[in-house]
Amino acid sequence: MLCDELELHAVGQALDELLVPGTIMTAVPDLKAQKYDRQLRLWAASGQAALENAQVCLLNATTTGTEILKNLILPGIGAFTIVDDEVVSEIDIQRNFFLDTSCIGSPKSKSTMQFLQELNVDVKANYEEKSAGYYIDENHAFFDQFTMVIATSLHEAHALKLASICQARNTPLFLIKCVGFAGMFRIQAGEHTIIETHPENATDLRLDVPFPEILEYVKSFNFANMDSSEHGHVPFIVILQHFLQAWKLSHDGKLPESYAERNEFKELLKKEMRSFDEENFEEAIANVWRLASPSKVPDKVKEIFKEPKCENITKESSNFWIIARAIKDFVYHEGAGLLPTPGKLPDMKADTKSYVQLQQIYRQKALQDLEAVKARVQSLLTEVGLLPDAIDAREIEEFCKHAQFVKVIRYRSLEDELIRKVHKSEISQWLEESDPTNNIVHYIIFRAADRLANNQIQSVGQKEEDAAVKALEEATRQVLSSMDIPQDKVTYMLDSHLRKYVVNFVRYNGSELPNIASLMGGLVAQEVIKVITRQYIPIDNTCIYDGMTATTSIYDL
Amino acid sequence: MTVPEAKRQRRENMLDVQDENNISLQSNLHHEFNNNADRVLEDSDMIDDSEELEAPGENGEILPLDSDQIKTALNACKILVIGAGGLGCEILKNLALTGFKDIHVIDMDTIDLSNLNRQFLFRSTDVGKSKALVASEFVMNRVPGIKITPFFGKIQDKDEDYYSQFQIVICGLDSIEARRWINAMLVNMVDDESPESLKPMIDGGTEGFKGQARVILPTITSCYECSLDMFNKPNSFPICTIANTPRLPEHCIEWASVLEWPRVFPDQKYDTDNPEHISWLYEKASKRAQQFNITGVTYFLTQGVVKNIIPAIASTNAVIAAACCNEAFKIATSVAPFLNNYMMYTGNDGIYTYTFEHQKKPDCPVCGTIAIKIDVNPEMLLEDFLDVLKEKPDTQLKKPSLRTATKSLYMQAPPALEKASRPNLLLKMGDLVGDGDEITVTDVALPVSMQLKVTMLKAQ
Repeated sequence: MLCDELELHAVGQALDELLVPGTIMTAVPDLKAQKYDRQLRLWAASGQAALENAQVCLLNATTTGTEILKNLILPGIGAFTIVDDEVVSEIDIQRNFFLDTSCIGSPKSKSTMQFLQELNVDVKANYEEKSAGYYIDENHAFFDQFTMVIATSLHEAHALKLASICQARNTPLFLIKCVGFAGMFRIQAGEHTIIETHPENATDLRLDVPFPEILEYVKSFNFANMDSSEHGHVPFIVILQHFLQAWKLSHDGKLPESYAERNEFKELLKKEMRSFDEENFEEAIANVWRLASPSKVPDKVKEIFKEPKCENITKESSNFWIIARAIKDFVYHEGAGLLPTPGKLPDMKADTKSYVQLQQIYRQKALQDLEAVKARVQSLLTEVGLLPDAIDAREIEEFCKHAQFVKVIRYRSLEDELIRKVHKSEISQWLEESDPTNNIVHYIIFRAADRLANNQIQSVGQKEEDAAVKALEEATRQVLSSMDIPQDKVTYMLDSHLRKYVVNFVRYNGSELPNIASLMGGLVAQEVIKVITRQYIPIDNTCIYDGMTATTSIYDL
Repeated sequence: MTVPEAKRQRRENMLDVQDENNISLQSNLHHEFNNNADRVLEDSDMIDDSEELEAPGENGEILPLDSDQIKTALNACKILVIGAGGLGCEILKNLALTGFKDIHVIDMDTIDLSNLNRQFLFRSTDVGKSKALVASEFVMNRVPGIKITPFFGKIQDKDEDYYSQFQIVICGLDSIEARRWINAMLVNMVDDESPESLKPMIDGGTEGFKGQARVILPTITSCYECSLDMFNKPNSFPICTIANTPRLPEHCIEWASVLEWPRVFPDQKYDTDNPEHISWLYEKASKRAQQFNITGVTYFLTQGVVKNIIPAIASTNAVIAAACCNEAFKIATSVAPFLNNYMMYTGNDGIYTYTFEHQKKPDCPVCGTIAIKIDVNPEMLLEDFLDVLKEKPDTQLKKPSLRTATKSLYMQAPPALEKASRPNLLLKMGDLVGDGDEITVTDVALPVSMQLKVTMLKAQ
């Protein structure tokens, strides 16, 4: 059974991601598959299943908040709950698409929920008419039911408390701020492991260390006796291996190692061409550069192997770490220093028969490696007292196929960012960089604005502008000083360029611009989807957008 | 003087007077609210491309966002949205919430079930109805005090008079062809005598987790045609691979759709929305795959290949549409400098944006001032030369017609002319044109003609 599965998987990117054991997508797809067709081509049935199991909580039904939910409800998350204790006002109607005049005076949580629910009948919707603060201060158990918490416009004190609540529950948290032309969001998701990172160039042909089956196959080609059509249809991998063997004979068994040697080898291939545009030989020449980077375990994967979580497998270890450990052991034994072969062959100029045969060889090798890893996973599981089939075969297979590109992100906690291990020197350094796409200044201003709120000064924009500017400037000073930036430097920074950001923030009057809220809604939803599906690579850990310059910046705060 | 020569001459004139133009363009775009908006006016050097990304105004400060000047400017701006699909739904929502009051929208499509995972103005009961109509009605019902005028049809149905009524055009299209057409239309509408003829065009596009947003000031900044070589033609496989040496499941599917269907049904084109047709192609492709020991043909893949499906999700559309609308807001109100002129967005590995100034191409067939130089092998047949024009990344033509100053080389229409010029297809280029000749090319892909200047290569 596995053999068939692997064969199917190894063909074509689109198909590759789609098969789940038991579902063979041959029949005309059902209505749901039709509705989600355009996204299934990105995250496949496995990603969709993860989305459909997600229970998302939104704290505060701001424009940004409802825009985020829109982009999660449309692709079909399982359920969402909106928490907000305000009633809908005239101003809300003007800014939030998921409200209309009939909602004025009604609970905002309920009204936005109703308008959002319309977007997708498959999604379950709930609302709570209490404040975010109530749950954060008094009812932590409320958060047990969610797989993901998204909070907009939360002040620092509440954000910190919520972050520790989520951390204790291993629940990923997104914190978002959006005022005027500035938007910022932060992910806290503990340890996030990703198998399917979807790299763009994932070819792994092992040209420098061909397995014996390939060399055997190459011997069956007699270049001298071919007619021109046959000669023009030899797969480039065969061409390379054939002439590399000849090269090795005259170079002490070594491959072309230097740049000069590789060029020499290319010239040699050029001379073998029967016509000036023989495509398969052109492909062979175009792939010679691959010999410059010998096959090996990438450094980032080696780092993963070195982690204590990989060393010490227990009953509590996640599937990711158990498989990672099995693959590490594989590398040091059956793999002879290399990761399992992914077994995927790109298209190349070739006749059908030789292409399919070559594909078979790569697949067979991949299957052999997979079986070895599976045996290791099973014995690891047995050792720690779990059932040998506790990990799905498909997950092991995915890991083997993507082993080169797997990723572990460890998100810093908000408490570390704000209190315990503040990145003071990094932040001061970013503040001094003059790159126009450097948006760290908005981080400082957002935090300064939070100080004002914490000091019981109402919304910044409601005060006289001059007074508000003065207050926000003073708060900005405090934030900068907390980064250990000396007073005279703080004054210089404000005078030279920060003051305009303070003034503009006041003129934003605390309001969300619909376009910026919508853009942030898109960015955040995209990252939420990546975290839920464990596919593609989310940011680590803060993204700041500036709508004046149309730029984003990422910071590890 | 021929028409193309006149146009070129006009463009040359325009380049000469560009400085002057800049000034009049500014005053035009802002005259409606200039009286009260001193702060806006002072920094509205919007087409000075040197310091574009500097924040505007003294000390880079902006107007309060609830100021009357901003409202007045938005009230006065008539804006056209092209496309009411994934980007279009978002754009209409954003413009309405931003405060634009007079919005028009064009879309020729009807609603399909597979739209509903992102085109949030549509429900399953709307399947089959006009996107432009349903979207307009939905947004008008939701947001009070705005007027949206839909047009259910093609952009090519409308003429210069129609497009000249708008101040800004914003595009959320999924086809290169439509973008090229509207871009060429807007470039050609520019009349240096009347600055209001210049309509800023904002263009958005997405594919999966990636996208781009750009601002085009026709004739002044790089236009869509200037960047045509950045967009690859959709994947196509060589016909000999499909016919003789299939290796991938896609090759088998192409065989079924490109070769087998026309052989079996010579008088009927398959309909990609008809499940029976897709099933037929899928079955044929599967059989062929089996025959060649190729695995991986599925219905899902068949549909993807035959319809040339591009993955599309709500979140990327939201990002790109909002980026476009934010530029429309900045252009209409001058509250901040707008994008100069291109933002690329990538969201599959982290979040990455790259903002840069795409350069105008001097030999752009649409906005350029010089003819495109082309090397011609005298031995090449005219027939093959046509194929070169179709394939060349910076021309990408569909059915080109060619003539020189003195004669028609090949005309696709009318039928009589086509017939008369057909024998030329088998003649050598060296016998048809000479070194330094200019060839005028017209094509369905473009509402304007293109000039090619021949450099004759030495005969081999």
